[in-house]
Amino acid sequence: MTGIPAPEELRAEVKAWLAQHWTKLPHEPAGDQHARPARAAWLGKVLAAGYAVPTWPTAWHGRGYPNELADAIEHEFAAAGAPGARQDKYSIPANTVLKFGTETLKRDIIQDVLTGQATTCLFYSEPGAGSDLAGVRTTAVRDGDHWVVNGQKVWTSSAATADYALLIARTDWDVPKHRGLSYFVVPMHQPGIEVRPLVQITGESHFNEVFITDAVVPGEYLVGAEGDGWRVLQTALAYERSIMGDGARASRHHTLADDLIGLAREHGRLDDPVLRYHLAKVLALRELNALNNARAKAAAEQGTSSSIMSLGKLAMANILHAEAGLRTEIAGPETLLAGAENPEADDINFLTLNAFFTSIGGGTNQIQRNIIGERVLGLPKEPEIDRNIPFRQVRRS
Amino acid sequence: MTISAAERTALREAVRDLLRDACTEQDVRRVMNSGDGFDRGLWRQLAELGVVGMLIDPGYGGSGLGSLELEAVTEETGAALLPSPFISSGVLAASLIQAAGPPEDQKRLLPGIASGESIATVALTGKRGTWAPDGVDVTAGADGTLTGGARYVTFGQAADVILVAARTADGIGVFEVAPDAPGFTRTAESVFDPTVRLSAFAFDRTPARRLGTAGWGAVQAALDLAVLALAGEQAGGARRILDITVEYLKTRIQFGRPIGSFQALKHFAADLLLEVESATSAAQHAAAEHAAAEHAAAEHAAAEHATAEHAAAAGLPGAAAGAVALAGFTCAEAFETTALYAIQMHGGIGFTWEHPAHLFLRRARSGAQLFGGSRAHRERYLVSKGA
Repeated sequence: MTGIPAPEELRAEVKAWLAQHWTKLPHEPAGDQHARPARAAWLGKVLAAGYAVPTWPTAWHGRGYPNELADAIEHEFAAAGAPGARQDKYSIPANTVLKFGTETLKRDIIQDVLTGQATTCLFYSEPGAGSDLAGVRTTAVRDGDHWVVNGQKVWTSSAATADYALLIARTDWDVPKHRGLSYFVVPMHQPGIEVRPLVQITGESHFNEVFITDAVVPGEYLVGAEGDGWRVLQTALAYERSIMGDGARASRHHTLADDLIGLAREHGRLDDPVLRYHLAKVLALRELNALNNARAKAAAEQGTSSSIMSLGKLAMANILHAEAGLRTEIAGPETLLAGAENPEADDINFLTLNAFFTSIGGGTNQIQRNIIGERVLGLPKEPEIDRNIPFRQVRRS
Repeated sequence: MTISAAERTALREAVRDLLRDACTEQDVRRVMNSGDGFDRGLWRQLAELGVVGMLIDPGYGGSGLGSLELEAVTEETGAALLPSPFISSGVLAASLIQAAGPPEDQKRLLPGIASGESIATVALTGKRGTWAPDGVDVTAGADGTLTGGARYVTFGQAADVILVAARTADGIGVFEVAPDAPGFTRTAESVFDPTVRLSAFAFDRTPARRLGTAGWGAVQAALDLAVLALAGEQAGGARRILDITVEYLKTRIQFGRPIGSFQALKHFAADLLLEVESATSAAQHAAAEHAAAEHAAAEHAAAEHATAEHAAAAGLPGAAAGAVALAGFTCAEAFETTALYAIQMHGGIGFTWEHPAHLFLRRARSGAQLFGGSRAHRERYLVSKGA
């Protein structure tokens, strides 16, 4: 392990390194990592310099730094607007594979993932396993030195271009559901994997469904022990949660300023007392959410835990639905219309539908309330009638 | 004056400890059935602890604390459903006297209020209960006497320092009326929330003294603090009744399992936690903004040699006014929502007089009306946002 420098020493080092090496990347098409050579070259430099995963061991591109020190690197990169640092905090596949993967798997994919030459997608949800993720039925069967996978996955983003998938699959149907799962890295470029775009209620398509027929996975690409997939998945999900944004995306046409007051004024509705009531409510919800987040952040900085973090997603879902309702109320009959020739109505209708992205995606509001009730308030779980019986006997839709 | 966060925590804990012993549910029930509507022994203890006079200048026997400390203390008094004239006397009246001056009246009135020996109240609104200039139903005659009526006067029966807002030729003025002044009668109102006593005042050519030249600006400054204190109480009250409810969900068994395992109830609890946390954020944010505005105003006044009265007349800057207004309606609504659901979630026991849930609902409903009410706060909030 290299020595541990003082933070200001490290900052000076990173600053100097960036000054010497960093130039703004040329425009390259997003989406296909194989068509972005300048970006890949840059990420390679960051990796070689030890800034990509500073908390990792030196044997794996790291410097063995503690988190606080590594954050100094992230800070300098952010200040310069340079990508690639601190992937030990952000990369789900790299972290999961480093922690649980075989030596072969680590050698095969970690460097490519950290330099952006390989990307991954998640094979988690299934049509029959959404909220109840441990109920997945995609099955992996060992066949000599490899595994053969069959099943169907859904809500997979970036599947069309990904090089690998992180898969949770059933390897044993004769034990209770959590115990029969295993975690794999699946090479995507093979005939057994068919990716089809999934069209959302907004008409957009950000996700795919994936049909897996006799796909082959090398034996060394099992991550963690056979039957230990649920535990590996929890670790991977924890990384995912720590990096998840608020899930709210911008409107389609960007005609809608954030300014609800302006919208009401434009439509001559600002004097309507009923509208004012709803306007105050929505503005308050937004402001309270910001205040809650600020309070949670302050608590975290003081090292005290706060229950607020787990409330954020629920709060945001409420806000997005309420805000879409208010915009609809303001625009009224205009929302009968759609299409590019009616950009404002189109945006409002889009926001109305897209609010479900947050209230369903990443765990429905109902599951979120279970989590808050059980993990924050300490309320008992529902009896789980499928918990201690072989998965083969569990009732299904 | 501002104290450190650690000192503020210590103050809050001292209040919590005192109320845990001296303001149990049994105490609240005893006191709410008493003539005074508050416990004079506990009132003295609160005064000794420095709570009653917390906002009053140390030169007049108070602790000279500010909005941040007020918010912290009221989270505790609200959680305990403390029945007391604290907001009425130590917050509303004391800060009105501090804002209205003049110094000789401050010297005469504030030490008694700080020590708890005097109990002050402010009659601000008539039957319409707007707590705004348009709601004032008392008129000052050319001879300086007051005629008219005031309603919803907090702890009006117990008060021995009586302040009244009245219409004058030059707008609203603040007057002091002696408790035994001729033509002044006070009647205890029948109240829905027995932990906050209210009176109706009537004035018939009642002799009165005007306090300086203060107008509605001084009243509004005092009301801002009273709203802030209420918001703190509401955040604290909401948290306590949620705690009580969650505890019940864990221990009440039906169908062979704790009812908190039923998602129908668990989901209510999760939603209420969001209400409670949001109310706490709103109250604390309002206190922080108010404290910052007061600090800036004090510096400005020191530089300009202006009086507190001038500072008060200028009013809170937009951000602080908006923050107080936001807390004003969101804390009130969060407390009322939490208390309403608490009764529902308790089922039959929650519908009984012996269960405390309805006491929280009563307190939530009184707080939602006093000192302006949610409708007015909502409007003020919108205006602060430019709507």
